[in-house]
Amino acid sequence: MGRNSPSIATLLRNGLLAVSGAWLFASPGQAANTPETGLLIAYANLDVAAADGPRSWLNHGGTGKSRFGNPDGDALRLRPYASEAGLVLQPDFGWSLSGLVSVIAQHGQDKAVDINEAFVRWRPLPVANVRLNVRAGIFWPAVSLEHSGGEWAVSETLTPSAINSWIGEEVKVGGVEAAFSTMIGEHRLSLTAAGFGLNDTSGTLLTFRGWATHDYKATLFSYQPLPVMNTFMRRAQARETRPMIDLDHHVGWYGKLAWAPPGPIELQYFHYDNRADPEAFNAGYQWGWRTRFDHLGAILDLDTRTRLTAQAIDGTTIMGFPRGADGQRWVKMRYRSAFLLATRQVAQGSVSGRVEGFSTRNHGSVVLSDDNETGWAWTGAMRWPLMRHATLFAEALHIESRRDARLREGLDPRQHQNVVRVGLRLRGAFGG
Amino acid sequence: MHRVDIWTVVACTALGVVTPPAAASAADLDVQVRATGGAPVPEALVTIHLIGQPTPRPRLAGTYSVDQQDIQFHPFISAVPVGASVTFMNHDRVRHHVYSFSPAKRFELKLASRQQNQSVLFDKPGIVPLGCNIHDRMIAYLAIVDTPWAKTADAGGHVLLRGLPAGSVAVTIWHPYLRAPGNSITRTVTIADSSMRSERFTVPMRTPPRDPGSGY
Repeated sequence: MGRNSPSIATLLRNGLLAVSGAWLFASPGQAANTPETGLLIAYANLDVAAADGPRSWLNHGGTGKSRFGNPDGDALRLRPYASEAGLVLQPDFGWSLSGLVSVIAQHGQDKAVDINEAFVRWRPLPVANVRLNVRAGIFWPAVSLEHSGGEWAVSETLTPSAINSWIGEEVKVGGVEAAFSTMIGEHRLSLTAAGFGLNDTSGTLLTFRGWATHDYKATLFSYQPLPVMNTFMRRAQARETRPMIDLDHHVGWYGKLAWAPPGPIELQYFHYDNRADPEAFNAGYQWGWRTRFDHLGAILDLDTRTRLTAQAIDGTTIMGFPRGADGQRWVKMRYRSAFLLATRQVAQGSVSGRVEGFSTRNHGSVVLSDDNETGWAWTGAMRWPLMRHATLFAEALHIESRRDARLREGLDPRQHQNVVRVGLRLRGAFGG
Repeated sequence: MHRVDIWTVVACTALGVVTPPAAASAADLDVQVRATGGAPVPEALVTIHLIGQPTPRPRLAGTYSVDQQDIQFHPFISAVPVGASVTFMNHDRVRHHVYSFSPAKRFELKLASRQQNQSVLFDKPGIVPLGCNIHDRMIAYLAIVDTPWAKTADAGGHVLLRGLPAGSVAVTIWHPYLRAPGNSITRTVTIADSSMRSERFTVPMRTPPRDPGSGY
């Protein structure tokens, strides 16, 4: 990627790597399937990626859908990356109240170190078989079935699906969330509701760039680059979007219902509405995007070692003022995506395969149908724990898409990309 | 079939067998527990109550403990004689907040990392599901038993109970995933003097619920 990493981020990464390297040799042991947890988690993600295709969208003006690319030609370009490093502090304040503060440095992040998540969590003892979990602060809504842990890491692959890549980059909130769960007979039910702000620009990247598959995450203060927009939008919209900002003080909400019937299956329904004012904007030309979506998730364990995971999303986003004879707002976009992920545990590791499709459809008065996008991707991945604090991943990703708006830059509207990536995940937990 | 209160017939051992009394002309009962498909049911609990005569009280023998290690309870199912104390031992580097709100025993224990020797007295028979308020996926069961004949099945679904008196007995199989009222099935068996009898139970099992995960 083109943007240079800031020096503080480099120092943080190097420091973490040195510590992690010491763990590798000092405490070899059996890697556990469940990540260790503790007062402090330190981690570093190192990758070697060979990619063809266009420059990553994370570079200004790039249109590629992964974190990697080769703008010099169609051949695979091999490069090492220190993709991410972070610290997760999880203090306890008594026995029912705890906190989580996660700081992160990512390759391509415009702030050296930024806040990933920060929240307090209240978990009183269950009452009459009903458990209550409350979170307040900055966090991701529980949509992704591919991420886990205090650092919100992808569990079985290196690259999450397009759905969860978007959740990671544009659907992070500041708010209060309450989750109730209970057993009714052999059925486990949980109901989650939240009120939130700080997510008014959600939908910006999805409209101008379209879907993408990457493990870059939104942080509290960072901006993310947008691709080249049409002439009208270049005057109205900043060239970068800040995913965590509140422009109108409207309180958004989301709700989730999860049902685990007897047996190896769990089904989830999630609805999100940020209630942003599509006419709100600030001096930096960040706009309110009224974004809503419905999401379905399912997990099915075929046996003790084989799991199918599926997610599907269908939503809309609206931005700008009414314009033209029919009074249509500047942007009115519908987006959809779905994936199926199969994971088979093999010894201490796993192999996974994922297929997914995605699309956007535009009916706005400024962003028109040439910004529509259709695409699909497949991913094959392997996870292999090397030792207690080190896990090796290998992944192949192929993604194809068509978007006529690429003609504006003289590019082929059809785009395809291959990425082969080997990743080392170093992680240690300290303190009780 | 003789009707037996489920809370008095469910039992298992924490460390081996709940010690049976010595009996003249004692008989042994060999029990095999298999699921409908033929697979053995490890940790299935087998308990015996006498019919037509009082079942002796179990004797307290040894110590009873439930360990927390690798963010799990060990063992998954434990049998504890009524009146015994159970020691909860945290071997993890993280703390655990163990609780149960069962009718047989309501309690909570706050176990700091690697802290041991917190004990709870269980003075009423019944099933005591255990949870951890910090780690949702930690689940285990204590069966507080009022019979000396109680044992959990080995990996092959096999239980051998010794020292039974002659006569009719109620043999109960219990497992949290057994698909039956009270998660148990009871059968009356006649025991002859100084005999070795084998009984095979084929029980319907449901797939365990999915790991509820960490919550967040």
